[in-house]
Formats: sequence, C-alpha cells, structure tokens
Amino acid sequence: MTTDFEPQIVGFLCRWCSYPGADLAGSSRIIYPPSLRVIRVPCSGRVDPLFVLKAFQEGADGVMVLGCHPGDCHYMEGNYHVRRRYSLMHRLLDYIGIEEGRLLVDWVSASEGRRFAEVAREFTAQVQALGPWGGKRIDS
Amino acid sequence: MIAEIRAKARELLENGQVRCFIGYEEGTRGRVRPAFVYEPQDVDRLIWDERCTHNLAVYLHQFQHPLKRGEEPPRVGILVKPCDSRSLNVLLHEKQIERERLYVIGLTCNGVRVNGQPQERCQRCSERVPLVYNLVMGDVPKTIGREDYADVARLERMSPAERLAFWTQEFDRCIRCYACRQACPACYCFECVAEQLDPPWMGIAMDLSQKQFFHVMRAYHLAGRCSGCGACEEACPMEIPLSLLNRKIAKEVEALFEYRAGQDVETPPPLATFKKEEELPL
Repeated sequence: MTTDFEPQIVGFLCRWCSYPGADLAGSSRIIYPPSLRVIRVPCSGRVDPLFVLKAFQEGADGVMVLGCHPGDCHYMEGNYHVRRRYSLMHRLLDYIGIEEGRLLVDWVSASEGRRFAEVAREFTAQVQALGPWGGKRIDS
Repeated sequence: MIAEIRAKARELLENGQVRCFIGYEEGTRGRVRPAFVYEPQDVDRLIWDERCTHNLAVYLHQFQHPLKRGEEPPRVGILVKPCDSRSLNVLLHEKQIERERLYVIGLTCNGVRVNGQPQERCQRCSERVPLVYNLVMGDVPKTIGREDYADVARLERMSPAERLAFWTQEFDRCIRCYACRQACPACYCFECVAEQLDPPWMGIAMDLSQKQFFHVMRAYHLAGRCSGCGACEEACPMEIPLSLLNRKIAKEVEALFEYRAGQDVETPPPLATFKKEEELPL
C-alpha cells in the first residue's frame, strides 16, 4: 500500500451527540485527519444503509456512522435500530467484497471530543491500510 | 388431487366466496403459467403438478384494490406451496392483504422441477407443509430437505478480494430488466428505489456499480423478509445466483435475531424492533 494514499471517508454524524462531539474536538484544537467528510444527520437512525452503499458507489473508501451511546438517543430508540441494521449491513458488505473494516459504526457523545478525534484517526489508519476501494464508479 | 382442487375452486366461485381463483394452467411449449379463474365453468383449466414453480403470492397485490369503484376489494382464492405460504405470511404480517379476503388452499409439496430438473432450493427445503391455509391438500410428503448453507459458506471462506471478483462477474451480467423484483412477492413498493427520480438513487447507465447497487439494495430490503422461494433466481434471464445473496442475509438474520421470514404473523420483524440489552457485533 502506498503511504501517501489519503482515503476519502464519509462520516454520518448524529446532530445530538457525535456532531457536537466533532465540534468539541475542533474547538479544543484536537487534530484529526482531514480525510473525513462530515455529513450531519438528525439521528444515526436517519442513516439508511442505502446512504452507506451510495457513499461507496460514489467513491468513498470508508464510511463512518456515529451516533449517541445506546440509551442516550435524543429520539429514545434511534441508535438501537442502528445497531440492528448495521450488524447486518456489516456482514452483507463483507459478503459482497467490501471489507468489514471500511464501515465503522460507533458511539461518540457530545462531550467526547477527544474520543471523536481518536475514532477518526484510528478509522483513517485502518482504511489507509486497506487501500483504495476498487469497486467505485468509473466516472467518479 | 387436481379433481379436488377444481371441485373446491368451482365451489368457491359458485357460491361467491371468491371473485377470482389463482392457480396454475397449461402454458405454451410444455410450460405452466399462472391462471386467473373468474368463472366456475373455467376451473377445468387448472392443473397441479411438479412444473408449477411460480410463487402465486406475488399476484395478490393486484387484488388489493376494488375491481370497480365503490366496490369492496375482491375476495381471492389462491393455491400455495409451502414456500409460497411463507411469502404469504410475510404479506399478511406486513398488512398488505387481509386474511379474511383470502381463501388459501395449501398444497403439500415434494419439490418442483424446472425442465424436468429438481430445484436446488427444494433439496434445501425442510418445510413440506404450508404454514398458512384454509384447507390443505395432498399426501404426507416423502422427502425432507436440509438447509446447510454450504454454498454460502464456500463464498464466506474466500478473501474479500475474491468475493468482490466473484460478485463483479455475476452482477456484470445483469441487464437491469428487474424481472427479479417483479417476480418477488416481497417487492411491492409503489415506487422502487431503482426508479425513484427524486432523489435519484440510481442512474440509468448500464454500469457495473449501478447493477451492484441495485442488487445489494434489493437484498438488504429483503432482509428478514425473503422467504427463499427462489422466484427471483428463476425469473432471472442471466442466471445470476440471487439466492446466494438472499440466503446469506437469511442466515445472518437467523443467527443474529433468531428469526425466519414468514415464520408467523406475530413476531415483530427483526429490523423493526430491538432489545435494549442485546449485544450485537458492529
């Protein structure tokens, strides 16, 4: 793998926990990789597995879905559904050849700026190690 | 047995219990096609043998609405094999059709044949008696299959790159005719993602990534809903092994959530419910 490969990572961050968490990382001047493109969503439960698939199709090398910790969802149960959906999606993606390491579903709360940066760093390194994803759209 | 089916269909049509009876009839070139019988004198068209592969549950959507304005939606009689009965259960569970409007004749099944060839799915099928019926016909089945997911496991043992290559090769044949979707009883969306224009999820290009997107999307939408009737695979003109994809999900749903599609009409569908304390691998 080339070391100068900078992956394109799409991050779906929940408006109540992970997005403020990322914000906190920024305002605390914690450095995290610039390979992450953040998309703010109302809840991690908003992230249809189709979004993830579309992201991969449009050329993402990795996709990150971050939400509130289970039990802390602003809408009571959004992230419980996420947990079920993505445990299945993970296996489906792996089965069709998108390595499991390219999708990350995790929980980051609004006060975990440092943790957000850590998660982003680790995930970027993981995707970097996997290399560019080969199945992307030809015209992208 | 066909005499019994015809007699029952005639009775149902004559006393007005059903408006239409859905069964099988002789088609062209030695094949069988679905039959829609509206008149009692037409019941002699009906047949039943091992060539009757279609999953008739897919046609129930056409009877969701009244035939004429102001009328009640029609009552329908239908023949179901054990695999079809699980599709029917999925539809009943999802409130796509009311049970009261249906008269279901369940048929015990020893497996169907396409062009004289026994079907792989029938060798895997362990259910030989329908799960839902008003009346069940046929003898006690002789053969019981077993699902071991051997072919799915073979694919799982490959490396991700090999799997990607395998699926690329398979999906690349897709001509995007959507026959798989049309044949599927669980694919009843009024507007499919594949044709949705706002937002435009899929382009119209004959491009590998579009085909891949379509198949993975469809497989995921069928998670916990696909009863494994094999109608999609049979309808596919390009012989894409869709059951490999759908059965992988069925396998995972069974492992993760202990649920089989169409098992009953009470258990909440796995992706529409959750347990707070469950531990799931993410």
